[in-house]
Amino acid sequence: MLQIKPILSTLMRNKSGPILLLIQIILSVAIVANASFIISERLTLMDRESGTAEEQVFDFRLYSFDKNIDLESQIQRDIRAIRDLPGVIDASTTSMVPLSGGGWSSGYTVGSSEETAKDTENTAVYYGDEHMINTLGVELIEGRNFYEEEVLTGSPDLATHGIVSKAFAKATWGDDTAIGKTMYAGDFGNMPIKVVGVVDKLQGAWVNSDSLDNSVILNIKLVNVFTKVLVRAEVGTLAQLKQEITTTLLKDNRNRVVERFTLISEHRKRVYRNHELMATVLSMMVILLLLITSLGLAGMVMFNIERRTKQIGTRRALGAKKRDIISFFLVENYIICVVGGVIGGLVAVQLGQQLMSVYSLPKLELIYPIATVAGLIVLTTIAVILPARKAANISPAIATRSV
Amino acid sequence: MFFYYLDLAWRSIKKTPFLSLLMVLAISIGIGITITTLNVYQLMSENPAGDRSDNLIAVQLWSQDKDAWKEFNAQLTYQDAYNLRKSDVPTRQTAMFVTGLAVQTEDPDFVPLLESVRVTDSDFFNMFSVPFIYGKAWDKSVDTEAVYQVVINEALNQQLFAGEDSIGKTLYLDSKPYQIVGVTKTWSPSPLYYDITTGAFKDSAQIFVPFSLAPIEEFQSWGNNQSWKRQSINSYSERLSSEMHWIQYWVEVQDDTQRDEYAQWLKRYVEQQQLLGRFDSPEAAAKLSNVEQWLEINEVVPEDNKILVGLSGLFLLVCLVNMLGLLLAKFLKRAPEVGVRRAIGASRAQIFFQHMVEVGLIGFGGGLLGLLWAWGSLSMLSAHFDLEDALTQLDLTMWVLAPTIAIAAALIAGVYPAWRICSTNPSVHLKSQ
Repeated sequence: MLQIKPILSTLMRNKSGPILLLIQIILSVAIVANASFIISERLTLMDRESGTAEEQVFDFRLYSFDKNIDLESQIQRDIRAIRDLPGVIDASTTSMVPLSGGGWSSGYTVGSSEETAKDTENTAVYYGDEHMINTLGVELIEGRNFYEEEVLTGSPDLATHGIVSKAFAKATWGDDTAIGKTMYAGDFGNMPIKVVGVVDKLQGAWVNSDSLDNSVILNIKLVNVFTKVLVRAEVGTLAQLKQEITTTLLKDNRNRVVERFTLISEHRKRVYRNHELMATVLSMMVILLLLITSLGLAGMVMFNIERRTKQIGTRRALGAKKRDIISFFLVENYIICVVGGVIGGLVAVQLGQQLMSVYSLPKLELIYPIATVAGLIVLTTIAVILPARKAANISPAIATRSV
Repeated sequence: MFFYYLDLAWRSIKKTPFLSLLMVLAISIGIGITITTLNVYQLMSENPAGDRSDNLIAVQLWSQDKDAWKEFNAQLTYQDAYNLRKSDVPTRQTAMFVTGLAVQTEDPDFVPLLESVRVTDSDFFNMFSVPFIYGKAWDKSVDTEAVYQVVINEALNQQLFAGEDSIGKTLYLDSKPYQIVGVTKTWSPSPLYYDITTGAFKDSAQIFVPFSLAPIEEFQSWGNNQSWKRQSINSYSERLSSEMHWIQYWVEVQDDTQRDEYAQWLKRYVEQQQLLGRFDSPEAAAKLSNVEQWLEINEVVPEDNKILVGLSGLFLLVCLVNMLGLLLAKFLKRAPEVGVRRAIGASRAQIFFQHMVEVGLIGFGGGLLGLLWAWGSLSMLSAHFDLEDALTQLDLTMWVLAPTIAIAAALIAGVYPAWRICSTNPSVHLKSQ
């Protein structure tokens, strides 16, 4: 019924056209499979949650260049003033901002004795006070927050208490609870930090890092001429608060610069920009490639119909039905498509392996070439049926005419 | 004859408008994608140092202990930079880093600005060919005896002093008065090769101050500060004597002899430091890279771009194969006509040439259209992603490159179909008429 044999002999009689189509399909499968794999990988990356209230939390930078002030009390006055502004939910100074692309990171020493001590994975380090958790909007799932009297002011070296992210706790202590554990900022025994709480999720600043989900919050209010301030406020109040905060702070002391108000959601957009760009360009490529391949396919079918007008007429005269004609073209192209798809799939895996060895891409998952071939078969059907319907309408009388 | 073929080609294109349009579209999309990715790639991989690329040398030192970092750090410690500045082997040299300072003028109503500031030596301006509108760099003596002098750029001069000659005027940085000694012309090499540590595609700083002021004014570092050693750094003097890497260091040499001489000097420096108990690693060494090597080892062109250029090359290949198939179809359909032409005396070469002209014409059309696609997609990308202008301008070379690639590609695709058509036997087609 499928008339494979006559179709194969047709293909063999005129090799160049089908071979070209085959090459085109092989290349298309190789490119589309790898491109869609990279696209989906990037989209997965971009989909990760930071754990914070991204639409509510914004940060800004405060630079005090007045050398004649008591910086410590100045900053405390500032933070209090910000917390009192209408619309503001909470505020805290910080060493870094999630997803901002810049900040502090460190490893710590853990273990029960000097001999068994080992380094932890690298982790983002947030320095802040007891308002930090509420300001970020992260969820405390175990232990407790800092008590107000635990929070110290000044140098990072003073830290004594820490709250860690679940990912960091798991990487460091496995299934054991992190609460009550000690980690050392220096070598074993030096500068101990006691873990008092665990938050469900808090990402660091570097989205391409393997340890993005590792974070610790330490009980220090930093005092520095450059201060980053985190503010959590009602959604949509940023524009107004930007004005109010600037005015409030400058009224207290003019000798400083208040700038770069940025929502975490804006940081997210910026920090993932290159991934989004890559995904966009590749999607453009995939769509155009499929378009070109199917148009080329349709063009070839149209050409074949014209060349085989007489043959089609003769077959119709000898009793072939319209759907026989259509299925002839369909099967002919399915054969090319499947053969091309299989070879293309192999080439795609090879190409994926090359990309993996030269660049830092993960291994191509097999589902992508398979899905591409499946998609191509659907596309082939459409690209063939439309012109082939025209072919089926060729009247048997054509066969008897000379031209 | 060429114009006659051009005329024939045009007629043939008009006779099969759909097929011809398909071919032009195919090649133009291929070209459009290729030019888009190639354009970004080219702008990123440009060597902005030009013919000075071999003279400008970045210095790296393997100062870490043996279990620390497994590669050279891009920056030096302050103590090494301080010692290296004493060498008289290089023609010019500069240590530098980026800081940020609050800018004020003598006008009390002026709202302070926070600007990024490059802390560097007087040689910086000559080394990196910074053009001046007014004045010049501070004197070389300032590099050892700190003086509060500053060089600003054209844009800041415009903003603060309405663009007039501001030499001798006072600028307040963090409330300290600095005397302006030079105003540079707008100048921003892309990539910003002399400091790639925090991103290679940024604008250069607007303000330059002497490196010798760093220990006095305790400028904070706005760049990367990387330590392999756990040291607690609570004051600026601790920072200066620490093993933290945060200073960029460049030297200028005239030729390879001088470069080798400097390499020798550094080798001795490393040995001398080892006697003092530093550079405690079997791999301790100095590494010199010219600008080209520097851009290479710092992977200024992101991987993504290389992948995109590769994939778009494959994409163009698909477009070509596609076009080849369509051309074959189109030409073979015309076989009877060619048969007649051959029968009345056209040579094979003439038939071949005639068809190649047609293919070239399609390629040219595709190239022009492709340039339009490339321009469109670049403007779309730059608008949507807020990209740096330096990366999305359609480079001038592309205007030539696009049609050239298009025509060349089309001609390559056209050889086989044209050969097939000119080598068919005319009698076969004449019989069937």
